[in-house]
Amino acid sequence: MDDVLDEVVSTEDLMKFERTYHEQLQTGNVTQKVQFEYAWCLVRSKYPADIRKGIILLEDLYNNHGDNERRDCLYYLAIGNARLKEFSKALSYVRSFLQIEPGNQQVLHLETLITKKMEKDSLVGIAMASGVIIGIASILGLGIAMARKS
Amino acid sequence: MDQDILTTLKLLMIGESNVGKSSILLRFTEDEFYENMQSTVGMDYKTKQVTIDGNTVKLAIWDTAGQERFRTLTPSYYRDGQGAILMYDVTDRNTFIKLETWLNELNTYCNKTDIVKMVVGNKIDLPNREVSTEEGLQFARRHQTLYIESSAKTADGVKCCFEELVQKIIQTPGLWDTHSLRLPGNGNTGGARQRIGKRGLQLTDDYQPQEAYSSCYCSLV
Ligand SMILES: Nc1nc2c(ncn2[C@@H]2O[C@H](COP(=O)(O)OP(=O)(O)OP(=O)(O)O)[C@@H](O)[C@H]2O)c(=O)[nH]1
Ligand SMILES: [Mg+2]
Repeated sequence: MDDVLDEVVSTEDLMKFERTYHEQLQTGNVTQKVQFEYAWCLVRSKYPADIRKGIILLEDLYNNHGDNERRDCLYYLAIGNARLKEFSKALSYVRSFLQIEPGNQQVLHLETLITKKMEKDSLVGIAMASGVIIGIASILGLGIAMARKS
Repeated sequence: MDQDILTTLKLLMIGESNVGKSSILLRFTEDEFYENMQSTVGMDYKTKQVTIDGNTVKLAIWDTAGQERFRTLTPSYYRDGQGAILMYDVTDRNTFIKLETWLNELNTYCNKTDIVKMVVGNKIDLPNREVSTEEGLQFARRHQTLYIESSAKTADGVKCCFEELVQKIIQTPGLWDTHSLRLPGNGNTGGARQRIGKRGLQLTDDYQPQEAYSSCYCSLV
């Protein structure tokens, strides 16, 4: 594991906090604490569907929470979105966080991390696109060669 | 870059909020200090490579949040920890009293029974001390942990704290060598392990920890 974005929740943890959440859901009264704990596990899952679910729960909390819990939500919303490769969205959460706490070292570090991943991702994109161009060019070349033969 | 890495060690930083865990880590990894360091959200993670007695190890350091609302989730990170830094603030007695709880939690959730523990009394640069060195040492002796006092602000004891912890882990082969055995071994790793093994034996024959750490500023149990 290289950084916080690589961290994956253990299956036991995910199941444990999921169970508690569902138990509360059945009684019709989910506490913010339990919702946050479950969401924290979800955004660290290796499955994008879990991460998306975690993001929804965090967004819901963000709108109903006190200040302290809001920073927690913003932080894990950034993590979740970055893990989904929604980098600009992740960065917008990072920036909202930094508006409340400018100079927060943990979050500044996360910002650099996300920016790096984003650059790397777009470089891979460019490489793939140029790969396609080379592919097309060689097909065209082949076509020309075949045309010449006939 | 990692051709000569002996192993990767998982270290944990635990203790009450505001004692200076993240500050000590930042001083160690980046040699920086911030007066206005903000409280950690959930968990932070940093890596650093260190060379001790000619052996290079990679440290994977997990800095947990001390704030109450994270308490249910942070113990998940204790799993497989090989070294733990239990920190208190020497100017805040309450953080020292709470150390007992943190230690219990670590013993409950960490599956490695021989995990090496280091008790750290931080913020010794401040004048208004509430916990004496003697009390800190007593606690460490009672729980058989290493002990050091530090200041993230002046950098006193910081390097030493991590170095001693790592040294002690390396001297406890069962704690880490099974880990490195999982990797397909190359000549280098094998050689280094043997070297360590011998050294470990020497140390148990004639155990003199003070001598090994004589270059350090700090006191040890
Ligand atoms: N004077 C002095 N201040 C320190 C020292 N270490 C940390 N601080 C200050 O103490 C405050 C808390 O430090 P942190 O490193 O955030 O504490 P923490 O243990 O990580 O806190 P949580 O993340 O909430 O668990 C910050 O304002 C630091 O600047 C020190 O050695 N001396
Ligand atoms: Mg911290």
